[in-house]
Amino acid sequence: MTDWPFVLAGYGVILGGLALYAALLHRRLAAARRAALDETPPAEDE
Amino acid sequence: MKARILGVAAAVSVIAAAAVGLLVVPADLNQGDAQRIMYIHVGSAWVAYLSFGVTAVAGVLWLWRRDPRFDAVALAGAEIGVLFTAFAIWGGMMWGKPVWGVYWQWEDPRLTTTALLLALYVGYLLLRRMTDDPARRATRAAVVGLVAAVDIPIVHFSVIWWRGLHQTATIGSPDRILNPAAPLVFVSALVSMALALSLAWGYLMVRRYQLARLEWQREESARMGRIVAARAPGAAGQVAP
Amino acid sequence: MNGVRAEARIALAIAGKDALSELRGRHAAVSTLFFAALVLLLFGFALGPDSRRLAEAAPGLLWLAIVFAGLLAVGRLHLVETEDDALEQLALYPIERRAIYAGKALAGSAVMLVLGGVLLPTVAILYGIDLAPAVLPLLATLLLGTVGFAAVGTFYAGLTVRMRAREVMLPLLMLPIVAPLLLAAVQATGAALAGDPFGELGSWLQLLAVFDVVMAIAGAATYGFLLED
Repeated sequence: MTDWPFVLAGYGVILGGLALYAALLHRRLAAARRAALDETPPAEDE
Repeated sequence: MKARILGVAAAVSVIAAAAVGLLVVPADLNQGDAQRIMYIHVGSAWVAYLSFGVTAVAGVLWLWRRDPRFDAVALAGAEIGVLFTAFAIWGGMMWGKPVWGVYWQWEDPRLTTTALLLALYVGYLLLRRMTDDPARRATRAAVVGLVAAVDIPIVHFSVIWWRGLHQTATIGSPDRILNPAAPLVFVSALVSMALALSLAWGYLMVRRYQLARLEWQREESARMGRIVAARAPGAAGQVAP
Repeated sequence: MNGVRAEARIALAIAGKDALSELRGRHAAVSTLFFAALVLLLFGFALGPDSRRLAEAAPGLLWLAIVFAGLLAVGRLHLVETEDDALEQLALYPIERRAIYAGKALAGSAVMLVLGGVLLPTVAILYGIDLAPAVLPLLATLLLGTVGFAAVGTFYAGLTVRMRAREVMLPLLMLPIVAPLLLAAVQATGAALAGDPFGELGSWLQLLAVFDVVMAIAGAATYGFLLED
């Protein structure tokens, strides 16, 4: 039937959206963890 | 790590539930294949409500205890709730076009309520963006989250009465699938997708919470750093707190 | 008992102070009224010239005008405070934050009632509506609707008054919250004007009342946290 494009669009966007958001979180978490490690105590060499 | 296992479990179950809804379950007699969207649409909506409930409760806990971890939970709940609300609306539209002939319709109480839900919590997220001080942000967010949560039941009833008075015959009502007399196959597809999405929600919540905690700590140390620099004697240039 | 009376006295004092500054800043209050009337006029241009369509839309247009003007009014009542940090001083006093909220919400309600009172005849004239047979239910709807809006608005105005981009944050946060109030007020107004053919007027008024009570309690309970800022 002509319903399938809508069904696929429905599932596709939602599942894709979940995957995308999860990937985005992963990237941001990795970046945040790297930044936390880089931040050494204020032993600046001024 | 435990979170990773949860993530894998979530991914597997979501894909499996989708397969069930798309391939295993037979098409509906009246709504045809469009019915399949209901499984993921309803599941998304339930998870969204769950998420916002968590946000409201976490906000209250922040107001009570002032523990930043509660605020992190509230933020995660709101952001992920917005995500699932958007999914629910999208699913509703994809279902609506084949069944009603239109993408949007004002007589369906759930669609209109969900749209308001989205507006409420996008506002919540924007409010957070506009507030720089972490404690103030958490307090404002908690209070707004609470008022929003309290508004939802009122919205729900008002929209149902609205529809009731102006009822025109609609071909398909999404409610049919929630009928306890519905065929077991449909019900199990619905429940399995709802459970799968809940697992996904749990996983995303854990990750978003972790991210929120890291960001809060970064903010705190940045503020401490600025305060230290401002107090340093003979600080060459100066400073802006 | 003493506590309640003291609180009520404080609330009334604040309400009086705010109402007075509204009256003194006459230009601002009148400008808001004029703005609301202008909105009604513009709706005429947007939806006219078919007077039947306008008459049918009248309840909705009336309440939209009230909401838009109300946003301005409610925002201004809090703006007055920041201009001389009065709000911070109020918060220092060991009086119940609830009383401050109540006072401001009362002032807001009064302002909006006046607004509504002016807009009703304006709508009657512009859209050709006969108000006479429905005066009492219309006034009841106006009362419940404006009180509810003021209850919510006082809270959000207090929240956004010191925020960045507060002019847009206030409506952005408030409008979804007042959607059910708008819906109920419009339905009640329409029912009243039509002579309540389906007997729904009572239900809508009840919904408005519930909204008012729930939001007033929520606002009073949480307003204190906003003052802490």
